[in-house]
Amino acid sequence: MSPRETSTVTSRRRPSLSFRTRPRTAASSTHQTTGLENDVWGGAAAADAANDEGQVLEEMNHFPEPVPRHREARSFSSLRHPVDGLRALGRRLSVTIRNKSSRHSTQHHHHDYLDDLSHEQEFTPRNRHSWCKGTSINSRPSHSNVSVLHGIYTPTTSAHAPIPGHGLEPPILPDDIYAGAAARAAAAAQNELARAEMDGAKCSDTRLTRDSESGIGIDLRDRSELSDPDLAILRLDPVTQLPPEVMSHIFIYLDPQSLMQCEIVSRAWSEQASSRHIWRHVFRHTYGHRLPSGISKKKRSAGLGKTLPDQDWKRMFLVRRALEHRWKEGKAAAIYLHGHKDSVYCAQFDEDKIITGSRDRTIRVWDAHYPWPCRKIIGPPPGDVAGIGPINNPSQQSSGKPPFLTICAPPTLSADITTPIEQASEYHSASILCLQFDDEIMVTGSSDYTCIVWDIQDDYKPIRRLEGHRAGVLDVCFDDRYIVSCSKDTTICVWDRHTGALVKRLVGHRGPVNAVQLRGDLIVSASGDGVAKLWNIASGHCVKEFHSKDRGLACVEFSDDARTILTGGNDQVIYQFDANTGDMVNELRGHVGLVRSLHLDSVGQRIVSGSYDMSVKVFDAQTGELSIDLPGWTTSWMLSVKSDYRRIVATSQDSRAVIMDFGYGLDGIELLEE
Amino acid sequence: MSSSTLVFTSSDGVDITVDRDVAERSLLIKNMLEDLGESGEPIPIPNVNEAVLKKVIEWCTHHKNDPPSTGDDDDSRRKTTDIDEWDQKFMQVDQEMLFEIILAANYLDIKGLLDVGCKTVANMIKGKSPEEIRKTFNIQNDFTAEEEDQIRRENEWAEDR
Repeated sequence: MSPRETSTVTSRRRPSLSFRTRPRTAASSTHQTTGLENDVWGGAAAADAANDEGQVLEEMNHFPEPVPRHREARSFSSLRHPVDGLRALGRRLSVTIRNKSSRHSTQHHHHDYLDDLSHEQEFTPRNRHSWCKGTSINSRPSHSNVSVLHGIYTPTTSAHAPIPGHGLEPPILPDDIYAGAAARAAAAAQNELARAEMDGAKCSDTRLTRDSESGIGIDLRDRSELSDPDLAILRLDPVTQLPPEVMSHIFIYLDPQSLMQCEIVSRAWSEQASSRHIWRHVFRHTYGHRLPSGISKKKRSAGLGKTLPDQDWKRMFLVRRALEHRWKEGKAAAIYLHGHKDSVYCAQFDEDKIITGSRDRTIRVWDAHYPWPCRKIIGPPPGDVAGIGPINNPSQQSSGKPPFLTICAPPTLSADITTPIEQASEYHSASILCLQFDDEIMVTGSSDYTCIVWDIQDDYKPIRRLEGHRAGVLDVCFDDRYIVSCSKDTTICVWDRHTGALVKRLVGHRGPVNAVQLRGDLIVSASGDGVAKLWNIASGHCVKEFHSKDRGLACVEFSDDARTILTGGNDQVIYQFDANTGDMVNELRGHVGLVRSLHLDSVGQRIVSGSYDMSVKVFDAQTGELSIDLPGWTTSWMLSVKSDYRRIVATSQDSRAVIMDFGYGLDGIELLEE
Repeated sequence: MSSSTLVFTSSDGVDITVDRDVAERSLLIKNMLEDLGESGEPIPIPNVNEAVLKKVIEWCTHHKNDPPSTGDDDDSRRKTTDIDEWDQKFMQVDQEMLFEIILAANYLDIKGLLDVGCKTVANMIKGKSPEEIRKTFNIQNDFTAEEEDQIRRENEWAEDR
């Protein structure tokens, strides 16, 4: 690597130093470190290559079988086993207590206590609901209550279209002999009800709500004899009192934990609380924080699964919960994509593919699924030189999270996947420094001073080249209307997405513009001059400035709601600004090198950063706390990081991209794919 | 030329006079009046007794100026089980009355009242253990210990915990 070449091609990190206007004493030391890293990397690369040759696909399989948790179960079994003797006594006691209390019982079922030996019943309410006045019942004539309970079922169900599933699936009668008679009666009532609904029977005489009538009757008789006012609280099972559609309306308000508790209450509750309809709502509500629509056309999977008729939403919830747990623990597998011959500067991915751009002048499209083959190489045909192997840097891993599993995707022969390109004008003649894609197009920016717009739907054919910058294009982004590019030439160009015409040139930065983001009419840019600027596209003016405390900025991120701006750079911290007030609201600390790349996952509330300290770090977007440290997964600088609900894709100067997959091997993870 | 009051007859035969704008909080009544016109006769509400009907009318009177619910708030209304103070006090009734109000709101198609009623029940369930839920509603556990354990295990599944 000749010095001259370095200064022109790796423009993305150097210019921030060379263009800096403020005097710096520490600058030279950084330069030295930089050079050192390069050498170390170069040396390691050669050594690693040999190591890598005989690598099998999965080096180790540490992935453990899902083990059921025993925390809750422990308390349960302690109840079950050692207390058997006590329990028998309890049964005998409870029989007598029950017989006594049955006179006071507000329950309206007929109880056959002799048949009911295995279940302790609690008729004496322990929760004191002082607000609940027992006398209020007496204020209403009981016969009318009964008739209400009878009558309401018919119009309720006939007034609404029956909810599929409920009407056709009568509750299953408990068939084991130990089950309580009262519950059987309740279930029978449910069955009867369901059947009656199906038949559309109008005659209320045949409806099986007789037990509720007698129950209320008993209740009123006994009330006069009660001495303890607490016993007067009327307790009714909503599942037997309310039609299924109303119960599901209630359950939808619950959090997943409460809903799971409901499944254990009784068979009738279990059946209703585990309905797919309810779990779909609960799952989506728990994990689907809605994105502000219309602002960004970024297609990033939120891991909420597909909307199919027979999705198992509850299972999806459990898988998602397990995945979130892995994020919390920092437990991810490393999947290395190698094929590029030099630094991988940029990457973007979706559920289907990962696209990377490299200093080797090629763009590679990788399959996002096992075994992660390279599908396509766009650019000059490279020679089939063996790539560099996956070597984790052990010295870096002591304090952070190493991969729990390391996988090396098998190399693909580039001859099979290289698009024959007739003319050199159809690809970049220098490093690919930046890229973005959506469903229709991909835009790349290069050290050859240009951007190329590619047709994603037509096999990545080049559509047009955007020419106008006078130095390397360091970052690019686009939405429905505009393509925005920024350059080492200190300007930002706004292009018409559909025609490729140069709409505006934003001038004002005094150093290379290293990064740019676009939200609606707003652009935020970060420069090596240490300033981030907020621009209005319509006016073409700079609206606000966000200064770093000291040195140049390398990256910027704009929240989807355009309220928060994050910048990172040579100060080794991440600055968080309020876009409206312009105030610096937080500094995220942890990196010990230049912060080269930032990604904000507003759905998962995670800030992911990649640094020249060779680590990827994850911060909690709400608190700014460092939550996961992933050091040394590559052997050189981290250049680009992106994340979605289950993985981080990071690219490195060591010519590899690494998928940090928190969902790897998780049973059912594919259910979350959108 | 519609009159400003209507008369409802409860299931137990009591006539109650209601302001029309209050009564129209019930989509069932509103649609019925639109479809059939107004006869001037008392409208029988065969499924709701006097005590419950009075409660329902009390709620509709308090909420008669609420903006009509639009269809697309379906998601946002699920987001919270917060209940405003007046509604909370209104729902301080015994379980039987609570369920009857919910059934009446469901039958009369009064969305806001149905929501408040369902939220009230959801709040009685939230954060409770199964045993606490059973006590709250006097429900008998008809699971065997093994079955209960099995459900717990399935729900607690999270690999390598």
